[in-house]
Amino acid sequence: MDLAGYVALTRQSGLAKELQSVANNIANLSTTGYRREGVVFAEMVQALPTEGGSVAMTEARGRYTDELQGGLAQTGGELDLAIEGEGYFTVLTPQGERLTRAGAFQMNGDGEVVNADGHQLLDEGGGPIVIPFEARNIAIAADGTLSVDGDPVARVGLVQPLDQAKLFREAGVLFRNDGESVPVEEGRVVQGFLEESNVNAVAEMSRMIMVQRAYEYGQKLMDQEDDRIRQVVRTLGQQA
Amino acid sequence: MRALNIAATGMAAQQMRVETISNNLANMNTTAYNARRAEFSDLHYQQVQRPGTINAVDGTVLPAGVQLGLGVRASAVSMQVQQGTVAETGGALDLAIEGNGYLEVTLPNGDAAYTRDGALKVNGEGLVVTSDGFPVAPEITIPEDAREITINADGEVYAYFDGKVDAQLLGQFSLGTFANEKGLEAMGSNLYRETEASGQPNIGQSGEDGRGTFRQGYLENSSVDAVREITQLIEAQRGYELNAKVITAADQMLAATTQVR
Repeated sequence: MDLAGYVALTRQSGLAKELQSVANNIANLSTTGYRREGVVFAEMVQALPTEGGSVAMTEARGRYTDELQGGLAQTGGELDLAIEGEGYFTVLTPQGERLTRAGAFQMNGDGEVVNADGHQLLDEGGGPIVIPFEARNIAIAADGTLSVDGDPVARVGLVQPLDQAKLFREAGVLFRNDGESVPVEEGRVVQGFLEESNVNAVAEMSRMIMVQRAYEYGQKLMDQEDDRIRQVVRTLGQQA
Repeated sequence: MRALNIAATGMAAQQMRVETISNNLANMNTTAYNARRAEFSDLHYQQVQRPGTINAVDGTVLPAGVQLGLGVRASAVSMQVQQGTVAETGGALDLAIEGNGYLEVTLPNGDAAYTRDGALKVNGEGLVVTSDGFPVAPEITIPEDAREITINADGEVYAYFDGKVDAQLLGQFSLGTFANEKGLEAMGSNLYRETEASGQPNIGQSGEDGRGTFRQGYLENSSVDAVREITQLIEAQRGYELNAKVITAADQMLAATTQVR
């Protein structure tokens, strides 16, 4: 069995996945509240039939989500909310509650605060936030208290998952939390700002170059393996 | 190589952003124009390795799994509802709306449309119309011999006539507000149409129930901030280039693969 080739192949397919994650990060460079994703590679040791022999292959084993704070961009929209520090907004989708950092909210025809996909923003008690029709001035304090013309009507709840590993990405800059989540007390909501994607274009570019070169090294190794086997066949063939 | 497709979605998104910016800049001097903003959200995630899978090597349960994203999509191009500055024009029928609210106009097919463009005119029959000739609802007729038209903050239109001391009330403009202004459908020509997302218009006297007030002799400027648009344009352009770079890299990796004997 041509093991060296297979070991290189596991690396190649892993690198193709890594490039996919780089491409996704760069594609989401302008996505509000987007969190950079990464792939973790792990060694997979396989025992060989020969006594005591083993070979290490590599495998995309895990993922991580970069929790770094994204930049805050001023928009002036009264329902554009950014979170400074930890925490997530809770929105209600047809599939259940989801967490998000994308705070570009607006009102729907019934006065409920919803995101661009129409999912309701939930207050700390888990209910929808309704803004009265005749509202003139909507103010949201740093602690999430939403006041309409000076009267507090609701408090935007911020939550934090207990276990980051139980947080799964879903389309629409949403996260599904399969574990417990706890309210965040010291989170800061900033009105009139949106959190930019936390993708660092420079870092992603250098990561991309590294992936590309590593891929080429792998290819080189396969080339050399190919040469070696050819030589073996040729040499053995001449002797016969 | 999915990276090719993913980068393509990124390029399409940045291109849409440039289109939104160019439309904003083109409307820098459009009366009562609200800047638009392109909003993006990520696409579906591919489950490469489900979390909770049992590791084949030593039987442990994988805590996180592998999820790979598939790119970006445009989620909305939303209108930035904000009061533009008002500029003095001196025109008797130039109305700026300070605060919330839209003037209702009647389209030739009888449907209602809404506008904040208060550059009103009088047509041949004395009817108050928009620049495109659509009458404002409720209809107000200004007699030929009327002079010195004044419109107060409540939208009441008064005119003086020769031989009369007191001003005559000709009619009153009303304003319509919406639960969600961003949900209005832009029709062009500064007109908007109500949709299910915007909700029903709440039409009534200005200054009441959260409605704004009128100011005669002024027009509302476009709310486009040129500096912000240009910085956004630079960002979008660089974002486009970065995505193009990813396509090049993926292409080179594919080329390396095909070169293996």
